[in-house]
Parts: sequence; structure tokens; C-alpha cells
Amino acid sequence: MHLEKQKHDFEPKIIAFVCTWCTYAGADLAGTSRMQYPANVRVVKFPCTGRIDPVFILKAFQQGADGVLVSGCHPGDCHYIAGNFHARRRFAAFRKLMEFIGVDLSRIQFSWVSAAEGGKWVEVVTDLTERVRALGPMVEFKELALEEQWSGNLNNPELQAVYEAM
Amino acid sequence: MQKQITEANFRLLLDSLLLKGQRVVGPRRTAGTVLYEPLSSASDLVMDELPRRSAKEAFFPVCEDLLEYRKEGQQVQVTDITPDRFPETVLIGIRPCDAAAVPVLDAVFSWDYNDQFFLERRKKTTIIGLACTQANDACFCTAVGLSPSDPKGTDLMFTPLEGGGFLATPHSDKGEAFLATWQDRFSEPDGSTPLPSAQPAATPFDLKKIKAWLDEHFEDAAWDSIAVRCVGCGACAFVCPACHCFDIVDEGTEKTGKRRKFWDACGFWKFTHHASGHNPRDLQPKRYRNRIMHKFKYYDDKFGQTLCTGCGRCIRICPVGIDIFDILQDTENKG
Amino acid sequence: MTQTIDISRYSALTEAIRTEARRILSDGTVSAVIGYTSGRRTGAVQPIVITAADDADKLLFTAACVNNLAVYLTKAKKDVPKRGRIAVVLKGCDLKALVGLIGESQLKREDLYLIGIPCSGVLGSVLKPDQELTTATIASKCCECTDRLPQGCDFVPAVDLPSPVPLEQRYAAEIARLEAMTPSERWEYWKEQFSKCIKCYACRQVCPFCFCEQCLCDRNRPQMVEQSPRPSGNTAWHIMRAMHLAGRCAGCGECERACPMDIPLNLLNRKMAKELKELFGTEAGFEVQDKGPLTSFKEDDDQSFIR
Repeated sequence: MHLEKQKHDFEPKIIAFVCTWCTYAGADLAGTSRMQYPANVRVVKFPCTGRIDPVFILKAFQQGADGVLVSGCHPGDCHYIAGNFHARRRFAAFRKLMEFIGVDLSRIQFSWVSAAEGGKWVEVVTDLTERVRALGPMVEFKELALEEQWSGNLNNPELQAVYEAM
Repeated sequence: MQKQITEANFRLLLDSLLLKGQRVVGPRRTAGTVLYEPLSSASDLVMDELPRRSAKEAFFPVCEDLLEYRKEGQQVQVTDITPDRFPETVLIGIRPCDAAAVPVLDAVFSWDYNDQFFLERRKKTTIIGLACTQANDACFCTAVGLSPSDPKGTDLMFTPLEGGGFLATPHSDKGEAFLATWQDRFSEPDGSTPLPSAQPAATPFDLKKIKAWLDEHFEDAAWDSIAVRCVGCGACAFVCPACHCFDIVDEGTEKTGKRRKFWDACGFWKFTHHASGHNPRDLQPKRYRNRIMHKFKYYDDKFGQTLCTGCGRCIRICPVGIDIFDILQDTENKG
Repeated sequence: MTQTIDISRYSALTEAIRTEARRILSDGTVSAVIGYTSGRRTGAVQPIVITAADDADKLLFTAACVNNLAVYLTKAKKDVPKRGRIAVVLKGCDLKALVGLIGESQLKREDLYLIGIPCSGVLGSVLKPDQELTTATIASKCCECTDRLPQGCDFVPAVDLPSPVPLEQRYAAEIARLEAMTPSERWEYWKEQFSKCIKCYACRQVCPFCFCEQCLCDRNRPQMVEQSPRPSGNTAWHIMRAMHLAGRCAGCGECERACPMDIPLNLLNRKMAKELKELFGTEAGFEVQDKGPLTSFKEDDDQSFIR
């Protein structure tokens, strides 16, 4: 089944942090099965979700990601036995922190995708991509990166305009 | 020559400056804390509280860009920050302890290298001081050769008058020029008495005696007991009007980024950490020793000045209650 | 209506601490006592390490004794002498942090002599140390304290605490206020707060749990968190510190108290503590836990947020 390739104004950047043994293999299966899904996702391969430090998710947003997907083995199937159990707790905590800071949680998706679940990979990626597309670009971090402490602010047209408006 | 200005005219003057598009920086309450920040109206100005940080950031920003780089294919584009981008600024309500630090910073930023980022900002700034009528138990400007009404470092000094208003005394060409430009806001002094100056309960130190002890006691067990409680943060250096150490880092990706200069502190463990892994100041007493040495010996050796204006911020802000006045007093008694 | 907090018992606490310190130093039970002593300014207090029994009279306990002395026991503070057994004066909140450190194998209980202090509260800020302890000046952490009487210590002065005065649960109220906001309102709130940060790292340096030999933020290979004191780097720093403390932070509130820019840092830590208690049923206390909530797991942990 081929999906029509639509032209969109906004192509979200989705970073997917995945584990080697399950989700990456599942994504691979989706590929070899010639399943079509949005090409917006950039996959970063980790040995295990247990290796995924929350700082990577934060850094992804700072570097321009509009949405982040974190995916690994189902609980009980971890190649390293317990990595995903630790990750599950860590991400539960990190989600709460992100929410408290004011990040829209619908931009962050966690999933368990096994090596056999090529179809699920496609579903998860497509749903996240379309959800983030509807939300628009993630401007918060980009705008934050442009802010300077007042003393480092240079004389620029924006500053002039502010004074003119007073 | 001296002039006088009423409270009302002072507010009008500030609003006029702002309307002209002039950046006016003064003590302002921001998210609950009083800091020297750009005002958006005369009513922002806070005159009865010492700002938590000093005014040095007007010339020596907390964080500033030095250049920007961009890589396109094999070409690298480097864009320098040029001085024409620094805005003209009027610093208002600057306390004597903050203003006196400016000539002290001038010396180091035009020593072996003219730091254009500092000097150009300095050129574009007019400093209007405000004499202090209150002090608290952490203030000790009088102990380091200054006073709550010392005009050192100011272009124009405002002294509060009984009955309101200020006496405006110019101390530089810039100050004279400011008075001339805004002469319709000012009037001739009418003989009103200035409010009594603040009286910090700090008797002058014999700074030479303190330096003499420091000259001879680089290795001394006293440093261990003085600094054992220091936790190695940069709070004292960052709130200090005279501390001026900085770090330069490149931040960005391989494609694009900026070179930034921002405050650094000798209290950090990383300050003297070498690329080899060796750290000559590997323990906190050595790092704290450097703070005292730099302020009361090294700076005097190089520039004939003390790197401290007695504002007392480090005493108030230290998370572990280290009191530099106490340390200096003990050192003076030892000598 | 501001009420004064009764700290008349604190002078009895001071006497008890001095007597005990004199005793354990004279008979060699400990080689040093880490406690509080007075500073030069009226009401000012600073940490002190005494090694001689004669110095015991320098110790005291007042409402300005805000420091968490457990920080001096960690491996991050290499200059504090750690020969033999060390005594340390601890309030309930400080003790919870120390218990956490023991749980993380940073300290050995047998190397310590714990002097626990029954506490009615301390000041929220010592910028002006000469202040009365009232319902307005008391630290926010004290408002929610249920651990006024330290447990499991080697010595606790036999001083009765007056009944606690009802206090407004400031952290709970503020967390609720923020939780009720929209995400973009919260983002604006934290942006304003983090813009004040100057990366002095006072928060990190006073924290007993920030004992890493090299902090994440001090690394540039790789650089995960910018070093520069700009809103962007500051936000990343505070998010990651809150994450690294999640499940460990005992709520001593020193980070917030030490911050020269009045950033409400403990709000983040209290929020995380609340969430972890709801999610995993654990919180910092007086019992040593082998594993914290984020270094352990249960097979049936909540995964409702995982697709």
C-alpha cells in the first residue's frame, strides 16, 4: 500500500532515540517490508533505552527537533535484562519535569516496539509526525537560544523598535 | 559646576532619555530581585536598595558574543562583533562602591591588551552616581579608602538633599556635557543641605600592613582554616564590582556557532585546571587564597590599587558566611 | 498575620551541643566536630570545623543555622579533614541528605558521630542574619517539615520542642499554582527565573548530592549543557540538575537559599519529590535505603505513558 506523498508547508524534525535490539530491528523490518512512512524521522541508535540520558532529549529540542521519540524493547525482553526497566522509571520522572518546565508533552513520545513490530514502528512514527506537524514548529527552545542577558544585548533594530514604541 | 534637580524633574529627565531611545540602566526590581537593568520608565527606578549584582556588567557583560562563524561547504564565514553595535548607555543610581570599581577595571582592561569589548562600551556610557544615606553591617567602603559619597568613577554625582531632590556635581567632561544637554531639567543650587552621608561602622584598614602580611605568607596554615568552609562557587566573584575574570568558549555546532565571553571565578575547581590534568590550585584553600591575594596584593603590585571597594556584597551573599572583612581584620592584627 | 516562632529552646540546644562536643573531642571519640559558629555581623552564622575540645564553646545553634553541614562530608570537599570519626551537627533536613549519602555508599555510618538537632525552623534567607524567626521569615522548607526530631543519631539534646505553629505550605501552594497554568505560561515563568541565573553554581556547590568529580556541565567533550550564563544554557543546566537530583534530593533547600539571584530552585526539586512519591512510593527519610527510586524498578511500574 503506497501513501500519496503530500506537499506540506512545515516538515517537522523528529529525532528517534531507539534501542539496537528491538526498535531499531523493528524499524529495519519496516524498511525491508517496504512500508511507507514519513521521512521526517532521524534515528539515533543506542544499545539500550537504559543508555538514553534525558539530556539527549533536551539537547535534541535545543538543536532544533520539533518532536522526540524514545523507543525500546518491551519490558521483560530487554537484551540487557533490566535496561528498559530503569529507563521506564527515568522517563516517567523526566516527563513530569518537562511538563513542569512548560514543554508540550505531546511532542515527546515513548514506545515499546519489538523487532517483529515493523507495523507498530510505522504507526508510532506516523502518528507522532502528524501530531507534531499539527502543533507546528517547536519554537520555545529556538527562541530561548536567541535570548541574551541584557548586558550582552547588542544595539539592533529590535531594540530600537522597542524604544520607539514607548 | 554644581546644579540641582528636583525629584519630579529627575523622573522627567529619565523619561525624556528613554523617549529619545537612550538605554538607561539603573537599579530595578526584576522578578523580585533588585538589579542594575535597563529601565522602561522612570517609575522602574529603585533608589533605596543596593542591587544584588554590581554595575560592572554594563561594560563587562555577564555573557557576550565575540564573533559568529558559519560554515558553508568548504567556506567558513566569520562575523566579528563590532563596537558600533554597543548601545549608548546612561547608568543611573550607581552607588559609590560600584562606580569606584570602574577605574579599577579600566586599569586591567587596558593593560597589556586593550579589550575593545570593555573599552568601547565604557566610552559609550555616562555614569551618574548616587551617594548613600544608608549603610548596613556588611558595608565597608570606608575601610578600603572610599566613602558613601566618594565620586570616584562617576561622570556626574547625585547627592540626595533634605526635602527631596539632588545636588548634581560633575566630575568629568562627560558629566559637564550631560548637564549642558539637559540644562532645562536642572537649576542652580539653592543652598539646600545634603542628607547626612551613610556611616558604615568600618574603620579604615591599614591596607599596606595587610599587604605586607600577604607578601610573606603565601604558605601559611591560616589559609586552611579560613577557607575550609568555602564550597567553591562563584557567587562572591560574580556579585563583586571589581572581579573581572572571564572565560571564552565556542558554542555551537560544526556548521554554525558563536564565540562567547562570560564570567569566570577563581573559586571554581576548573579555574586553573590544565589540559594535562594538573591543577596547581587543587584544593579550596589555595583557591580562596588566590581571591584574597589578587584583591589585596597582586592587584596592588601591578596597578597600585586595591581590587575591592567595600560594597559588602560577597559578605551578604556567601552561602557559607565567609566574611572578607573579618579575614582582613584578622590579617591586619596578625601583621 | 505574622507570628513569631518560639526559639527560646535554642540556647539550651547550644549548651547541649557544646557539652557533647567537648566530651567527644576530649575522650577521643571523634577527631573533629563540624558545627555552626557565629560570624562577625550580628546574628551571622558560619560553618566551623573544630578539632580541639577547648574550641567547643565556639559552637552554637540559632535560627540562622541554615547550612547543610552534610555537604562537608562528601568526596567533593577534599579539604575537610576526614581522619578518624567525625561528628557533625544536623537538623532533620540535613540528616535526610546524609542518610541518602549513606544509601549511595558515599559515607559510612561508623565513620560518623551524628549530633541531631530538634529544630523549630530556620530563616529562609540570611542576607540580613539579624532577623527574628517569624512565620514570614521562616524558610519555606520548614513550613512543610515533618522531621523536626532527627532519628537514628548518636546524640540528640534532650530539649523539648514547642508545638509547631501552623504554617502556610508555600511549596505545595506554588507547585499547585504552576501546575494550574498552561504549558506556555509555565515556560514564561521559568524563562524569567532562569534568565536571572549567572551560573555561579552556588546551588551545586552547597548540595550534598552534587559530589561528582566532574559535573556534566563542566565537560566539553561532549558538551551536553552549555556553560554560558544565557537563558538557554541556564534552562538546560537547571533542568538537568533537577533530573540528576530526582529521587535523591532530601529537600534541605540549600540550593534555593544559596542562590544569589533568588531563583526558586527547590520548587523543581520538591515537584520531582512529589511526583516520585506518587509514582514509586518513595521519599527521603531517616531510614537508609539501599536503592533510590531511580536506581531500582518494579516489574509493574507505571507505563501508561508508553505506547
